[in-house]
Amino acid sequence: MAAELLNGLLAFQPDSPEVKDKREYDRQAREFIDSLHKYNPSAFLKGADTPQDPLSVLDPAVNSIAYAFTLRLRIHNAIEKNNTQTLKPGNALWNNLVRFLESFDPIQMRYAGSEYKKLVEYVEQIARGLDTPALALSPIRSAMLRLDPTTGCFTTAHLNFIRLCLESRSYAVALPILDNHIHSFPTVIQNSLRESTEYFVPCADPVISGEFIHTRSGHSDKVTLAEVQEYYVLGAMAYIGARQFKNAHQMLEHVLVIPTTGVANGLMLEAYKKWLLLGCLVNHTTQTPRTASTNAIKQIRSTAKAYDALVEAFSEFNNLPKLKAQVAAGREIWAEDGNTGLVEELVQHQSRSYVSQLSKTFSAIPVSKIAGSVGGNIDETTAFVETLIETGYVNGRLERSDKPDVGAILRFYLDPTQGPLAKSEKQQQLGLLEQTERTNRLAEQVKDADFRLSITKEYIEYLKRQNKKLAPGGGGDAMDVSWDHDDEDMMGDLR
Amino acid sequence: MASDAAEAPFFQKRRLQGGVVVKDPPKFDLESYISNYDGFTRIDRLHHIGSHSPYLATDAYRTSIAEAKQGKNVKLYLALVEDYSQIAPNDPAALIDTAWAEEKTRKVQNEQDKLEHELKSYKNNLIKESIRMGNEDIGHFYYACGDWGNAHKAYLRMREHCTSTKHLADMTLRLVFVSIAQKSWMTVQSNLAKVDAAQLKGEEKTKLDPLLSALTGLAHMCLGHFREAATSFVNTSPAFLTAEPAAGIKWQREVLTGNDIAVYGGLCALASMDRTELQNQVLANNDFRNFLELEPHIRRAMNLFCSSKYSACLEVLEGYRNDYLLDVYLSKVVANIYGRIRTKSIVQYFIPFSCVTLEEMASKFQPTGEYASIEDELEAMINDRTLNARIDLVDRLLISPPTNPRYNVHSAALSMAQQYDHTLQLRLTRLNMLAAGFEIRPEKSGHSRDNAPSSFGEGLGAGLRGLGSKMGLS
Repeated sequence: MAAELLNGLLAFQPDSPEVKDKREYDRQAREFIDSLHKYNPSAFLKGADTPQDPLSVLDPAVNSIAYAFTLRLRIHNAIEKNNTQTLKPGNALWNNLVRFLESFDPIQMRYAGSEYKKLVEYVEQIARGLDTPALALSPIRSAMLRLDPTTGCFTTAHLNFIRLCLESRSYAVALPILDNHIHSFPTVIQNSLRESTEYFVPCADPVISGEFIHTRSGHSDKVTLAEVQEYYVLGAMAYIGARQFKNAHQMLEHVLVIPTTGVANGLMLEAYKKWLLLGCLVNHTTQTPRTASTNAIKQIRSTAKAYDALVEAFSEFNNLPKLKAQVAAGREIWAEDGNTGLVEELVQHQSRSYVSQLSKTFSAIPVSKIAGSVGGNIDETTAFVETLIETGYVNGRLERSDKPDVGAILRFYLDPTQGPLAKSEKQQQLGLLEQTERTNRLAEQVKDADFRLSITKEYIEYLKRQNKKLAPGGGGDAMDVSWDHDDEDMMGDLR
Repeated sequence: MASDAAEAPFFQKRRLQGGVVVKDPPKFDLESYISNYDGFTRIDRLHHIGSHSPYLATDAYRTSIAEAKQGKNVKLYLALVEDYSQIAPNDPAALIDTAWAEEKTRKVQNEQDKLEHELKSYKNNLIKESIRMGNEDIGHFYYACGDWGNAHKAYLRMREHCTSTKHLADMTLRLVFVSIAQKSWMTVQSNLAKVDAAQLKGEEKTKLDPLLSALTGLAHMCLGHFREAATSFVNTSPAFLTAEPAAGIKWQREVLTGNDIAVYGGLCALASMDRTELQNQVLANNDFRNFLELEPHIRRAMNLFCSSKYSACLEVLEGYRNDYLLDVYLSKVVANIYGRIRTKSIVQYFIPFSCVTLEEMASKFQPTGEYASIEDELEAMINDRTLNARIDLVDRLLISPPTNPRYNVHSAALSMAQQYDHTLQLRLTRLNMLAAGFEIRPEKSGHSRDNAPSSFGEGLGAGLRGLGSKMGLS
């Protein structure tokens, strides 16, 4: 029996020559999964801890589907029988699980979506059960990145992962996932389309995750709007924890642009409050994104007046006492909204902005002059300015004057190509090239989203109606968002 | 006498209220100055001078009280005497002539009754022309009494009885006249636009054009739009000086004289135009030259500005500051205009330098007292971005920052690209959400819906509370 199973498990060989053709691969992979479902689940449990153990015979990187099946059933069984000993980190099953998540073959796992999801959930459950949520982070993250290097298709794993990150305060771990923006959601793709189009062979490559992760692939539960919102808000909080305020600010804008019929919800309000504060920390603007619903923003604004007042106080750079008074007046509000930390940050940032604003007016200024506005004696201020220079808020240097009773001098670099914050032309060029690449990638994703829209029922029906209206010959061409490389090659002369 | 007046309760009160009191004597001679004006503006100007300059107060008030007694405006008379009694209580003119006031009030009332009665009978006769004239008479009457609101209404009632474009233009000019007396410049502007739009032809038009441009300039100046004011004044034809009365008003005596146009136009131009514009549009302008000849010092100031002698220019202007503070229209905007000229001079002065010591700046531009020191003034100018420079407080230098266009273009391109990138991401999110059918909808009936987002949000919000403070930021 065990040998038979093993043969069955090894039936699918992704590297064998006959599956070179993608369509063949697709067919075989599907058949293989169907065949696995036919085995009695108990069959997988036999042979554990023997040399014939499928988990030791199978290679997770080659026989990923079979391995995932076996592993899932094993863990399931262990949990059912309350046999948690082997699941503990360091023990066999846990090690197998982690090894699998870190090395599986991504193409095979496109077919075994529900196994993938289950295994990722097991990691989380086990780690939580042991009160060490941080242990689950790295396996989950590598699994997500392996399955989909762009991690841009929102799945329930995203949300669970970010929740875990916040619970264990591992903000830095979350960043690689957060930095990949969400470019699609699992969509409903009609069966007829999926089966008849070359485009939808999941093993095709390169392929965008939005195509193999869909509502029926099993990689994710049904996603709801609240979950997406929560992901963005929590993601922003992780960014805040990692002190990447600009990213946090941009992340929250995703919540503000959510389509609405003119009403806002609680998460939007949360997001707006944090967004306002972050706006001050980032660039001093409070211009809401253009696509945000004005009505919803209006509603939110009326309930977040305290924050508006705070922002106003902040914008008066030279008026630290006013900001402090505002902060003190609303202490309970900030605490209740969980924004005390950010508000404190705002207070500190005002002094920082004040000093960096000085560079627009002065080329050199004695520290004693600044001390009055920042609040503190000269030594404290000198130390403060020093840290500002070190942390990159100010492009300048501190000098000791030889004149008596002048003390330390803050001298700004007037030329942007000098000083600690200077960027060489090479660096700039590199930045531009990177940005070009990012933009091109984004353009691809947009094109892809456009394609998905163009095969929705609604659009096809719309097209039909249009065609009827336009009589023969007239056709509604799909929106053209193709990216013309030749036209946009503005950076050509830089290369 | 002057020092006595300066300590009079009237001026002390003005100072307390933050009003302007001009201590030093002005350059002009009151009598010859005021002899250029007629009508309401004469008393108005006298009143203004009297209430601003202790030096001229006595003369100005005496003359104005005597003038007011000739007219029908009892209220103005009483106000003037009231003011004057606080300056020179012992002067016979400071005592209210009650008998005259009562008598006058009665007469005015009678006249009003009579005019209204006449208008009524005109209306019964249904003759348009008579009704128009009746209303006009009432308008004139109210104007003479200083009741601007009613005068405005009366003139406005003429509209439906006007039968020719000339009547219409006359009526609108009357409205302009009243609005100027009210100092409501927006109304002046809109009425001037109406006159301009009225389709006058040929001679009529050439007659009115100089008037219109001068008045438009005045309105713009009083509203603080110096650039527009300068253009209007500069393009005023010298025909203004000799224009015949329009709508029965001698504008160049009853509102503003040619000298005023030269001063107002010159100052507004200095405040708003750069050197080449001044040279080409103002000094080389044949029309405006006629006006400038009336006020040679304005011309000199402009010449100095154009030849980059800014401190000399400011000195000339500074010498006339008192005169302009005593001008009824200029006094409110003169500080603003002077400030602008000064700022512009500093900016223009600094352009050719890469580095100037603060002492040099201070000696070239004597501080006016508005700022504590030259560096404060320069700091304010840099902060509102009128001056592109940096201050070195240690070596006391004003430095022109080096520019690096290549670097700037690169960083601008990068930040713009990032901005677009982000915007595109937001749009993509929105598009995806719409495609997936995500939308926040108002909750209809409690919690029966499985996808009730707002109640969920609140629950989550509660769960998250305090998280921010725990995150190691505090």
